[in-house]
Amino acid sequence: MNTLMRWIGIAVVIFIAAPLVIVVPMSFSTAASLQFPPPGYSWGYYQQFFSDPSWLRPAWNSIYIATMNTLLTMALVVPATFALVRHKFWGKSFANLMMMMPMAVPHIVMAVGYYSYFGELKLVHSKLGVILAHSCLSVPITFLVLSANLKGFDLTLERAARSLGATPGQVFRHITLPILKPGLAISALFAFIQSFDETVVAIFISGRNAETLPRKMFDSIREEADPVIAVISTLLFAIVFIGLLTPSLIKLVRRMTGSPQPK
Amino acid sequence: MGLSLSALAERKTLWPWLLLLPLTIYLALFFLVPLIEVGIMSVTEPRPGLGNYEKVLTGSLYRKVFINTFGTALLVTFCCLLVGYPLAYLMSTVSKRAAMGILLLITMSFWTSFLVRTYAWMVLLGNNGPVIWLMTQLGIAEPPPLLFTRFSSTLAMVHILAPYMIMNIYTVMQKIDPSLIRSAESMGAYGKSLFRHVYLPLTAPGIANGSVLVFVICLGFYVTPVLLGSPREQMAAGLIGNQIEQFLAFGLGSAMSIILLVVTLVILGIYHRRFGLDKLYG
Repeated sequence: MNTLMRWIGIAVVIFIAAPLVIVVPMSFSTAASLQFPPPGYSWGYYQQFFSDPSWLRPAWNSIYIATMNTLLTMALVVPATFALVRHKFWGKSFANLMMMMPMAVPHIVMAVGYYSYFGELKLVHSKLGVILAHSCLSVPITFLVLSANLKGFDLTLERAARSLGATPGQVFRHITLPILKPGLAISALFAFIQSFDETVVAIFISGRNAETLPRKMFDSIREEADPVIAVISTLLFAIVFIGLLTPSLIKLVRRMTGSPQPK
Repeated sequence: MGLSLSALAERKTLWPWLLLLPLTIYLALFFLVPLIEVGIMSVTEPRPGLGNYEKVLTGSLYRKVFINTFGTALLVTFCCLLVGYPLAYLMSTVSKRAAMGILLLITMSFWTSFLVRTYAWMVLLGNNGPVIWLMTQLGIAEPPPLLFTRFSSTLAMVHILAPYMIMNIYTVMQKIDPSLIRSAESMGAYGKSLFRHVYLPLTAPGIANGSVLVFVICLGFYVTPVLLGSPREQMAAGLIGNQIEQFLAFGLGSAMSIILLVVTLVILGIYHRRFGLDKLYG
């Protein structure tokens, strides 16, 4: 039983890893179609990606939309999270449910709604429309990450500062904010990724003007399976790879240089 | 103090809602109104009445799609469990370093855009891909087409959703007290009976969490089935997209959306009653 489970487990590791590994050699391929192993290797598709406006424009659109989405979502979610974590009040469980609702609704359902609603508001095919839609969809995950951080916050620190004569504003600026900075940064990152990855709503409402990268990738995969997708896939994968490995790399460098590690 | 008691109580409720106000208004305007509009369209387009629901609930095409959606979601959930449980088990038995490595891989897979992963499966299963090549090397003269079938979309969905399952089960497995297993062993539980009577019940909450999450996401999955699946075996989300994009049949698309939404909410609602939704994504 145990050995069988272990062997299956190892097979699953390969199953999970294979698709992540395969896009990298594909991106250096010289073949015009999906051919593996590639007949030859070159930088050709990288050059094509970085010189083709029909790929670069969606990439910039995505970055812009995700950034704006992050700012808007944080501005709305941060005060709401403070209210929900720190206060007991009438209607709290309703408010909690409200924050989680966008996660429970399938994106295709929202896509239908936005397609029609934003059509009336003349927001279809506009970046603003995509930002407004994405901000709703980013609320739950941002809230979850931030509230987990806020729940672990030691309130005695604030009380101590107050008892030493700090005003509420000073407490917020000098105690609360610095301690919460990592939590805020991570929840902002989640909001950014939520928007950057969101595909379904973007397919229906972004149009040609606000075309996002996932939409462009979706169209391209559906129509022609352009090998440039392998380049973007590799780049996106590389960002995740670097993002996840950086903390352990920093730790490793710290250990090698012998500087004390903060716990 | 100048404030009376009742005023204080009022302030206690007022202040949090003041902080919540911007978000509440925002969600009402840009989340609730479009959602309600879907409901309205489902009973007014193209003409008022319940015609759309009648069509969706009795038409053989729609019924086929809904059955297919349910079947696929069940299959994907089951496969994720089949794949996820042994891996979580492997992670909880190997050395800490190896477990960290596997965890890193799963996190990496989780964070990689699902479009990228869908595309990767296209390469892997394509006619010029390694799987077909391997099949011909093994002596299968005419390998069956793998891409654009139910098989390819199911496989890719299992790959994309497996991390949810694995993480949920692993979290639970990690918390199992080893002394519990040891004492069960000392009382004569081995192999299968140890697994069935001790290990499985202890990991059940993780299985439940992971399964609900995978099932619900799979029910509304649009991208992967549309890109990798067979056009003849659509899932609900794909058909909704078709109605809107190709036929501009907003009424029908909306009615299907509402049905999909209700089914999803009922499942999540039952789950919420029993365990609490916040635990699902935690």
